[in-house]
Amino acid sequence: MFMFRRIGRAFKEAWWGIRHHFAMVSSTAVTITITLVLLSVLSLLIANINQITYDVEEEIQVFVKIDKDVEEKDIDALKTKVGRIAGVSEVVYSDADSELTYFIEQYGEAGKIFEIYRNDNPLSRAFIISVATGFSISEVSKQIELIDGISEVNFGGATIEDFINLLDGTRRVGLIFTASLALLAIYLIYNTIKITIHSRREEIGIMRLVGATNSYIRVPLVLEGIFIGILGSIFPCLLTIFGYKYIYEVMNGQLVSGILKLIDVFPFTLYVSGFVMIVGIFVGWIGSWLSASRSLRWKR
Amino acid sequence: MIILENVSKIYKNGTKALNDFSLEIQDGEFVYIIGETGSGKSTLIKLLNGEEIPTKGRVIVNGTNVGRLRFGKVPLYRRKIGVVFQDYQLLKKKTVYDNIAFALEVINKPKEEVRNRVKEVLGIIDLANEFNSYPTQLSGGQQQRVVIGRAIANSPSILICDEPTGNLDPRHSKEIIELLEKINKSGTTVIVVTHDYVLVDTYKKRTILLDNGSIISDNPEGGYVHV
Repeated sequence: MFMFRRIGRAFKEAWWGIRHHFAMVSSTAVTITITLVLLSVLSLLIANINQITYDVEEEIQVFVKIDKDVEEKDIDALKTKVGRIAGVSEVVYSDADSELTYFIEQYGEAGKIFEIYRNDNPLSRAFIISVATGFSISEVSKQIELIDGISEVNFGGATIEDFINLLDGTRRVGLIFTASLALLAIYLIYNTIKITIHSRREEIGIMRLVGATNSYIRVPLVLEGIFIGILGSIFPCLLTIFGYKYIYEVMNGQLVSGILKLIDVFPFTLYVSGFVMIVGIFVGWIGSWLSASRSLRWKR
Repeated sequence: MIILENVSKIYKNGTKALNDFSLEIQDGEFVYIIGETGSGKSTLIKLLNGEEIPTKGRVIVNGTNVGRLRFGKVPLYRRKIGVVFQDYQLLKKKTVYDNIAFALEVINKPKEEVRNRVKEVLGIIDLANEFNSYPTQLSGGQQQRVVIGRAIANSPSILICDEPTGNLDPRHSKEIIELLEKINKSGTTVIVVTHDYVLVDTYKKRTILLDNGSIISDNPEGGYVHV
């Protein structure tokens, strides 16, 4: 009963704070809304970049031609040697016959013309290598080239690496930008609560005088901050769900081509909007907690 | 019982407020603390209230070493001490009833207990008919009675009043002192810090005169002693 009364009072006082400083609360909530909209956009973007990067990395393979002089019995030893290089996640051996089959399949019906080479196959045996991440592809290729028995190493070249680096750069800048915005929102809530404390200084002074504990004084102020955080996150949450759904439908679920697919709307947008709401609550909580703690500290 | 043992208080800016100050006040006493501005009266109240800690010496109130109280324990200690200031410090948007109840609500007293105690206090301060009035609708004397009511709401064993009649005319000052006497008779220790020497001479109680942070005279018979 005591706890319920205390919680009820805290909510009542937090609501009082919001009503009495509505203009200040509104401007802070709007700023949080802007921050969270950007956070939402960045989250959607980063998640999709992650997905695309993953898809691209999945596709990345290094094609390694084996020297014709390498005897069949030495292939396993060579495979092990290649597999030991840092960054290599998988090595698949493909003999000359399989290579020709693959080559023919690439050209469909027209490719059948190359069947004539089945008995006198000019293609080399090869290793098809998967790498752990796209970043290591260039380094891995250089090291493979140095191994005896390897005649040629091929991968998508610098373009793939540049593309992955670009995606990663976008992800990093986005994260830094979002973190800066979150700090700004915390600062704004900090100031709003400071104003609430200032406008209630008489009441707080009397509370202290008659023996109210610091937590009793602090809880409604922190709740007020959390309310502002929730208020500020409502629009970004709705925008996350409906905005992404709209973009997904307009773009037909893909970016540029079918290889670069966007993440499905559900449950993805629910996760992102949940994350945005949690960030809103966290920002409200941390800003108001810091403000209340600082204002109430060191005063006996 | 209040014991101050060789208490000195030097503020961060170097101001010496109390200088090797010793004092004992028994339970149930009524004591005037008088002295000029800067004599150390306000610092004495702050030390008793736990708002300041002594630079040297000990402040013992009802067995509690106030200077050694941990930060979190100060509010609990304050619940046993009532403090009244010259500027009424009432919440203007709350009624007389709510202002008194506020002191009990913030320390989480049950509603029923708050209701009963506020009624009782309204009787003591003789403002039962004004329970629904707002502070701005009351006279200065009535407002100060509400402040006293709020200070005694939690039945403190000690009531400290800092210039309680400072803003009042003689008639209302007399009413306030009579109210404080009534509270004192119920067993509460009352400490009144004042400039009002006429009052001190009229309602004679133990009178302690301070100057430059030291006790100049401690007259158990009461009345203003010219030194």
